[in-house]
Amino acid sequence: MVQVMLWGSLTSFTEGRTALEIEAANIKELLERLEEHYPGLKPTLEKGVSVSIDGMIYNDAWFQPINPDSEVYLLPRLEGG
Amino acid sequence: MGTHEPAFDVVGTRPLRPDGVEKVTGSAKFGADLTAPGMLVGKILRSSHAHARIRSIDTSKAEALPGVKAVITCKNFDKAKISPAKQNILCNIMAQEKALYDGHAVAAVAAISNQIARKALRLIEVDYEVLAHVTDVEEAMRPSAPVIQDDMFTVGVTPQPTQASNIAKRSEFGHGDVEKGFSQADVIIERQFKTAATHQGYIEPHACLANVTQDGQGELWCCTQGHFMVREVCAELIGMDISKLRVTASEIGGGFGGKTTVFIEPVALVLSREAGRPVKIVMSRDEVFRASGPTSSTSMRVKIGAKNDGIFTACEAELKYQGGAFADSPVQLGAMSAFACYNLENVKTVGYDVATNRPKNVAYRAPGAPMAAYAVESVVAEIADRLGIDQLELRLKNAAREGTKSSYGPVFKRMGLVETLQAAKVHDHYSAPLGPNQGRGVASGFWFNFGGQTCVSLNINVDGTIAIAVGTPDIGGSRASMCLMAAEELGIAYDNVRTIIADTSSLGYNDVTDGSRATFASGLAIINAARDAKAKLCARAAKTWDIPAEAVIWENGCAKPAGANAGNFAPLSLAEIAANAEKTGGPIAGHFEVNAGGAGVSFATHIVDAEVDRETGFVKILRYTVAQDAGKAVHPSYVEGQFQGGAVQGIGWAINEEYIYGEDGKLQNPGFLDYRIPVASDLPMIDTVIVEVPNPGHPYGVRGVGETSIVPPLAAISNAVSAAAGVRLTELPMSPPRVLKALEDSPDR
Amino acid sequence: MRFEAPTSVDAAIKLLEGEPGVVRILAGGTDVLVQLRYGQVEPDLMVDIKRIAAMRSIDEEDGGYRIGAAVSGIEIGAHAGLRKLWPGVVEAMELIGSTQIQGRATLVGNLCNASPAADSVPAMVAAEATCRIFGPNGHRDIPVHNLASAPGETTLGRAELVGSIYLPSRRPNSGDAYLRFIPRTEMDIAVVGTGVSLEMDLDGVCKNARVALGAVAARVLLVDEAASALIGSRVDAAALENLSHAAAAACSPIDDKRGTKEFRTKITGVLVRRTAQIALQRSQE
Repeated sequence: MVQVMLWGSLTSFTEGRTALEIEAANIKELLERLEEHYPGLKPTLEKGVSVSIDGMIYNDAWFQPINPDSEVYLLPRLEGG
Repeated sequence: MGTHEPAFDVVGTRPLRPDGVEKVTGSAKFGADLTAPGMLVGKILRSSHAHARIRSIDTSKAEALPGVKAVITCKNFDKAKISPAKQNILCNIMAQEKALYDGHAVAAVAAISNQIARKALRLIEVDYEVLAHVTDVEEAMRPSAPVIQDDMFTVGVTPQPTQASNIAKRSEFGHGDVEKGFSQADVIIERQFKTAATHQGYIEPHACLANVTQDGQGELWCCTQGHFMVREVCAELIGMDISKLRVTASEIGGGFGGKTTVFIEPVALVLSREAGRPVKIVMSRDEVFRASGPTSSTSMRVKIGAKNDGIFTACEAELKYQGGAFADSPVQLGAMSAFACYNLENVKTVGYDVATNRPKNVAYRAPGAPMAAYAVESVVAEIADRLGIDQLELRLKNAAREGTKSSYGPVFKRMGLVETLQAAKVHDHYSAPLGPNQGRGVASGFWFNFGGQTCVSLNINVDGTIAIAVGTPDIGGSRASMCLMAAEELGIAYDNVRTIIADTSSLGYNDVTDGSRATFASGLAIINAARDAKAKLCARAAKTWDIPAEAVIWENGCAKPAGANAGNFAPLSLAEIAANAEKTGGPIAGHFEVNAGGAGVSFATHIVDAEVDRETGFVKILRYTVAQDAGKAVHPSYVEGQFQGGAVQGIGWAINEEYIYGEDGKLQNPGFLDYRIPVASDLPMIDTVIVEVPNPGHPYGVRGVGETSIVPPLAAISNAVSAAAGVRLTELPMSPPRVLKALEDSPDR
Repeated sequence: MRFEAPTSVDAAIKLLEGEPGVVRILAGGTDVLVQLRYGQVEPDLMVDIKRIAAMRSIDEEDGGYRIGAAVSGIEIGAHAGLRKLWPGVVEAMELIGSTQIQGRATLVGNLCNASPAADSVPAMVAAEATCRIFGPNGHRDIPVHNLASAPGETTLGRAELVGSIYLPSRRPNSGDAYLRFIPRTEMDIAVVGTGVSLEMDLDGVCKNARVALGAVAARVLLVDEAASALIGSRVDAAALENLSHAAAAACSPIDDKRGTKEFRTKITGVLVRRTAQIALQRSQE
């Protein structure tokens, strides 16, 4: 199980919880399980999110491994100028 | 430091850029510089209403005008076939049921001359039903405001509203308990701020040349930060296979985030398809201001509580960003980055993304962060003054460091904020004397940085020189940096490497040059492609010597036996191996493809001196110093250029730049005369200090540097002007009338 | 559009007389070419006056200078005699545009564009400059101040053009100056422009003064009340204060993107005082 942290506005889809326990070994599994357990997150996930694993930020890197003790944050999709 | 810092031979030097001569002699080919046989002029008809329903468009008279070869409207795009993610892009490049802002495209023509095209536009009859409009963020949030998108139901509030409004979403970030934090504070300062919308102000207007042939193949030449993005978006909007459209990026006269989407390109392609001839569209400056993608205007509230010793107990911000007709504001990034410079137990930021009758927002250098930093760093400066603590000292006391839980969640890895604060502190600027009516301001700023999809190739020519192809348009000297990194890795001279920006048919997909990613991500890919090539070079040497490949190493530009056991062979230089490539197995090339993570966060601290004319409100910037962490400066001159450029754009944003809308919802100042970017005589020399705290996510420690430099200026300048004026200024731009008014309203006067 | 480049004034007038449609005169082109490019004007005839020799020179005349309509800002700035005689007019002309624009832009063009914010006009009005108008019935001289009638409009009749500006000789112990306020340091249009010309007597008392204001009304204003505030004074703090008030009182600006009425009026009071101080200093040199 990994603990994934959500940003505030997503808690309306997760019964108010900002920290979720998810069984996932990589980003692909994480996103799939999140959508499975919390269908309300689907539009946000489809629009695209960034995932921070131990302080490194990834966009759409499905096979990036996640360790059980990794710090994982779901973040709005990062953009730049 | 403890960790081993790599030593460099070539990286860190300052050779001439490969695109320099062409640019200074005027022969470089920008977006508008290409012509084609039989080329037509494309022009776009734009709404002069801020908000109007389009009842009908009659193009018959324009079509009948001799010399007109095509007239198109939204009917020429197949909306039903376009994915939800690109619906807003389509709606922006050609209005559908409604015109949503002054300047919104409603039709386009292709004709044999400028004059005829212009005349044709006048012959197009659009029947508008003018609707009530709103351009101000606070007004747009009121329940009584005219609703711009009737399917916009605020996301991020529970329960989700069932009535449409202009508030697209509410976002919240942070941790801890700010109420508890404020209750522990000895001093609390809370302020309200406003900033005007600004434009990236690139000198080169959008321009493109499109040609779609009768067999459905397309070619597009355009100025963009990302031609692969242009290809994919255009292919979808006009219903074409990606493989049939080849896009070539021209040289680019500035982008700063504003060229990360499409405006005229799909229109030119459709006009060309209809007319059966090449079509060139060049935006006028007026069109650039009215119909490209400026950034948000904002209304913000920031509250900070601190103990008497300066330690922050709680930080809170409420950010309302106006995001144009489709609510594309970068408010989430503003809310995430607002307090990123600080180590906080209790922090909360709330952002609202709001639609108005203004152009669709597009990224502008560290999108969303400069405004939030302006509000936050203004209040930080006031806390320091209130507590009598030195400005930099207060920031150092509260500074985020490696291991700090960031205000947006993740724990920071190795980072250089403290180093930039220390560099500022010891800089002679910080202790230089000030004259009457002069003030000094400082501010720090943060940006995330980004990696992303990258694909490069590195070809070894028979004479031992190197041809590199990258897919990230060079907007800040990145070609020189690519050459430096390849030369470093291969152990050869910089002059032996040439980098080009390849077209979309020559490489795999590359993300746009944005997020300060080109030197980081394309650089990382180049280093790996060079390593790939080195392995192949070593293998060729091994074959030549008839020893195992593992027994060959690469050193100082040559393949060598790994040790005495491997055999006694004279080193083979890259040029020698290249010369025999045909005989040893054919061409030698290195490749690398990646979706790069690991872009290191970036921080900067700026110092500014300003002087205020108390009779006119005129602000003069006297001195400016930027200290920023570059991780590793690959080409220090271009790193300094990025630092200086960000500071200069910040000076414009802080002092004079603003989108001014009239009561009628029309943009009043769509030109560089009345949209005042700084001119050279407005500016002091921008001093720079390159701080190098290596990024663990890059082989050479590189961090992106392109964006962070625009984060601190608004606040640093406002702090300097406020100190000089003796009044806290809370609205941007600090144009003379606004500063004069603040001086007059000040109780001390 | 027909383009003609006559080599004499008469030929130019004939061309103007013969064209019933829209006509534009091209000297530097720094306004006309921009208008053309933006489709703001579509002339039937464009008459380039740069090939008319008389329009290309600066000539001494009765202790003053006559400046041809096609003389550029750079040429004016490089003319030592003009600089010495009417430094305020020269500095006003030099404020217009960039170095590139200076190579093309002309004093007469700035006048005939009839913008209330034209930089050179308040300085010329303060200097009591006249302009020579050529037309089908020969030529006539009028004060520069009377040329513009409204924003973008002049008192020129059909087939008339301005051929030159005359800056008169200067009396001893006199000086002129021009200042404008812009939000930047250059490349901008005056929010307010103030031209002051004054003459002192040997006792240090102001004998004559002319004060002209730009961008604060539909035309450039020549403000007698402001001049009166200086005449008879030593141009001391009290007189300058009166000057400020008189100038501010004469303003009737509009509110627009470049400044509010309130701001323009306040700045006029500040700027006119600073301008008078420079003119005073020059009168003593």
